Amino acid sequence: MDKHLGTTITYNEQELVSLLKDRDNRAFAYLYDNYSGALYGIILQILDNSELSNDVLQEVFINIWRKIESYDPSKGRLYTWMLNVARNASIDTLRSKSFQNSQKNQSFPEDVDRLSAGTSNPNIDHIGLKKMLEKLKSEQRVLIDLAYFKGYTHEEIADIEGIPLGTVKTRIRTALQQLRNILK
Amino acid sequence: MNTQEYISSGIVESYVLGLANDQERAEFERMCAAHSDVRAARDAFEISLEQESLANAVAPPKHLRSKILGEIEIEKENSNSNIIARKGIKEDQQIVGKTPIINFRGGRYLAAASIILLIVSTALNFYFFNQYKSVTAKYEDVVAQNAAYAQNEKDYQSTINRLSDPAMAIIKMAGDSVPSSPAPSSMATVYWDTRTKDVYLLINKMPEVSTEMQYQLWAIVDGVPVDAGVFDVAKGIVTMKNIPRAQAFAITLEKRGGSPTPKGQMYVLGKV
Repeated sequence: MDKHLGTTITYNEQELVSLLKDRDNRAFAYLYDNYSGALYGIILQILDNSELSNDVLQEVFINIWRKIESYDPSKGRLYTWMLNVARNASIDTLRSKSFQNSQKNQSFPEDVDRLSAGTSNPNIDHIGLKKMLEKLKSEQRVLIDLAYFKGYTHEEIADIEGIPLGTVKTRIRTALQQLRNILK
Repeated sequence: MNTQEYISSGIVESYVLGLANDQERAEFERMCAAHSDVRAARDAFEISLEQESLANAVAPPKHLRSKILGEIEIEKENSNSNIIARKGIKEDQQIVGKTPIINFRGGRYLAAASIILLIVSTALNFYFFNQYKSVTAKYEDVVAQNAAYAQNEKDYQSTINRLSDPAMAIIKMAGDSVPSSPAPSSMATVYWDTRTKDVYLLINKMPEVSTEMQYQLWAIVDGVPVDAGVFDVAKGIVTMKNIPRAQAFAITLEKRGGSPTPKGQMYVLGKV
């Protein structure tokens, strides 16, 4: 199989990982070109704030570069690992004091921006996982939103929603099974 | 539980999306290692998730690419120079034998950083001490104010108690009892303690006067006006001079400080 068509280089995942572990800049640029959009999507879905999402995307790629040694291919695909790095960084930012303050101060102008931007801006409620969530029952959607996009543990969700822990677990499990069918 | 049941329990998605707890993760990793169908289910979900994400990618702003790749370049150079620096230490140590001179670049930065930290911390100490001082001063002001209010409250309370005493004679002085009064609608009330002969004055309504002038209360004793003290309009109830005997009270307007005998116009008059 010819992987060198013209000037475009493509790597399979194994090659890419081993080049990244060797600190290969070109492999990293390839990683950025191919995955920054997917990761930026998830960051935007969690933070709902493009300026902060830019900072988090930068932090995520630097973390990927620094921590690539800790990526273990036997536990899952590279993208899954990167997605979790991105989700964790976004949730950390979401929970940081500065973010909470910035939301308080900026909530009004941001809404104005969004209104005036009209349809040219992608509405983050209609991309990626959030879009898929629309196909779930609302009671399930709320729980997935709290667990995945807000980063709460099952115990915290049981507290927030005032429902038993067992119910939280069952509903999340059921929701995840359905997500899988939606993805197929 | 057979592996199919395990696979369809939602654990695959939970693990891949990072929602599983430590125990579930460990169990899932064991199951993946032991059962190829669990692993296959995981791979399949990961691939569909990745495809979904790629299909819904949102391009980040263009300038971020060069910024992030530039950061990586710097990281790379730093880690390289660290390796060189570490090698350098080893060589130095070999040259000087048992007394190594550690001369790595980081030392200077560390020293600079600690001095900066010291300055920042001193500045913060100073700042917080000032804050503390100003808060303490404010607190003391508030305590003093509170004491003043408490004293006022006590004064008012004792005034009210005195005024409501049945032994208190009340003499209303009206402007319309004085034919030549400059303000016929004026009114003031004398509360005269018949036992102690103390005189209190309540200003019901008196016109404002210039700062050079002051009202003066007179007790009319056998037709002769006796000075009972001066007062300003602003005050509510004023304690005046003790008057043992009087048939009437009146108020005139005098030069500030009062006069020995009334010289100004009479405003109000009231008979005991």
